[in-house]
Parts: sequence; C-alpha cells; structure tokens
Amino acid sequence: MENSKIIIGYLVYLPIVIILTIYVSKMLFKNGKYFMLDIFKGQEDIALATNKLFEIGFYLINIGWALLILKISYHSASEMSSQTLIEILSKKIGGFSIYLGVMLFINLFFFFRGRRKSKQSLKKVTKTPVYDVRDEQ
Amino acid sequence: MNYNILTYSIYLPIIAVIMVKVGWMFYTHGEIFLMHLYKNDDTIVKPINNLLLIGYYLTNLGYAIITLAFWEQVNNLPQMLNTLSEHLGIIIIGLAVLHYNNVLCLNYLVKSKHSKK
Repeated sequence: MENSKIIIGYLVYLPIVIILTIYVSKMLFKNGKYFMLDIFKGQEDIALATNKLFEIGFYLINIGWALLILKISYHSASEMSSQTLIEILSKKIGGFSIYLGVMLFINLFFFFRGRRKSKQSLKKVTKTPVYDVRDEQ
Repeated sequence: MNYNILTYSIYLPIIAVIMVKVGWMFYTHGEIFLMHLYKNDDTIVKPINNLLLIGYYLTNLGYAIITLAFWEQVNNLPQMLNTLSEHLGIIIIGLAVLHYNNVLCLNYLVKSKHSKK
C-alpha cells in the first residue's frame, strides 16, 4: 500500500476540521444571539432567524473550504515517512485554524458594525420628535 | 521514531499549556476592562469576551501548529534542545509583544472614555 499514509492523513484531518468548525460556529452564534437582539432592538423572532441564517452560511463556507484544501499531493519515489505526514498535517490543520480565527474576527467585526449602526439609527429616531415639538412651539 | 517527531511531541504540549493558560488569564482579567468600556453592560461584555478568547486560541494555536511544517532537520540531542528553545522563545516573545500592545490599547480606550465624560 503506497498511499496508506495519505489516507491516514485524511482520516486524521477530516474529524479535527469538522469538529473544530462545528464547535466554533456553535460558540460564535450562541454568543452572537445577544448582538442580534441588540441590533434588532429585542425583536426576538427576527433576531434568532437572522442568527440561524448566518450560522448556516458560516458552516457552508468553512466546511466547503476545509474540503477544498483536503488534497495531499506527494510526489516522490520513496514512501512517505511519518515525519512528512505530520508536517503536512500541521500545515493544513494550522492553516485552517488560523483561517477560522480570521473568519471569526470578521464576523465579530460585522456584529460590532451592525450594533453601532442600529444605535445610530435609534438616536436619530428619538431625536426627531423632540425637534418637531420645539418647532410647533 | 526520529528526533524530529520527538521534538514535535515535546513542543506541542508545552506550547498548548502556555497558550491556554495565558489566554485564560487574559480572559479573566480583561473582563474588568471591558466592563469599564461598556458601562457594566453584562449581556454584551460576556459574549464579546468569549468570542475574543476563541479567536485568540484559534489564531495562536494555528500559528503554533503551522510552524511544525517549516521545522529544520534535527539529528541529535543538543540540536533538538537548541531548536526547541528557539521556537518556544520566538512564540513566547511574540505573545509578550501582543500582550503589551493589548494592554496599551485597552489603557488608551479606557482613558479616552474617561476624558470624554
């Protein structure tokens, strides 16, 4: 079996990556619920629905990317040593972990941005009636 | 079992313990700063802090793991100790620089918040 090391690599890589993605997106959107409730000013049904949609998108993007970078290509006459396997796996898993971290920070940035925007529009709404009353007086 | 694999199996637990401990300390002590920044709004501080912790773990452990791929060949015991200390040192110094940077940023934010009032 000349390719057995590569298959072992896949068998190590896939569970780690999928469990990591599921855990991160579970945590992200468990905490993101509070941001969503803030953004939609306590309208719970629409906040939870948006949260769920974001979560599905997060799953799709990340698992898709994980599968896309799965392929291990190794061209050499000698069989792959376990050291090479560890190094290739570390490159893939480490790279995916950094990628996931960056995705998480991007999502966090969107949450903050949405929260700020909704606060700004809230201020505008509360200010306008005050000016109207003054004009009438 | 060659020296490279031995080095990896020493390196990974050490770096994991250091990173998890440091991250946990940032998590518990940074919460007080965040509480200051968000006017003790508990519902929003906890999620922010959790997400920052997870992001910290992902990026840092990812970096620590990815350095394995670019490790030089290790042939004997002294060389193993040398490379081990070198790689651990780089990562710990990097953590320290990031940490001071973070403290400065938080300090700046808290100060600017106070001066606004």
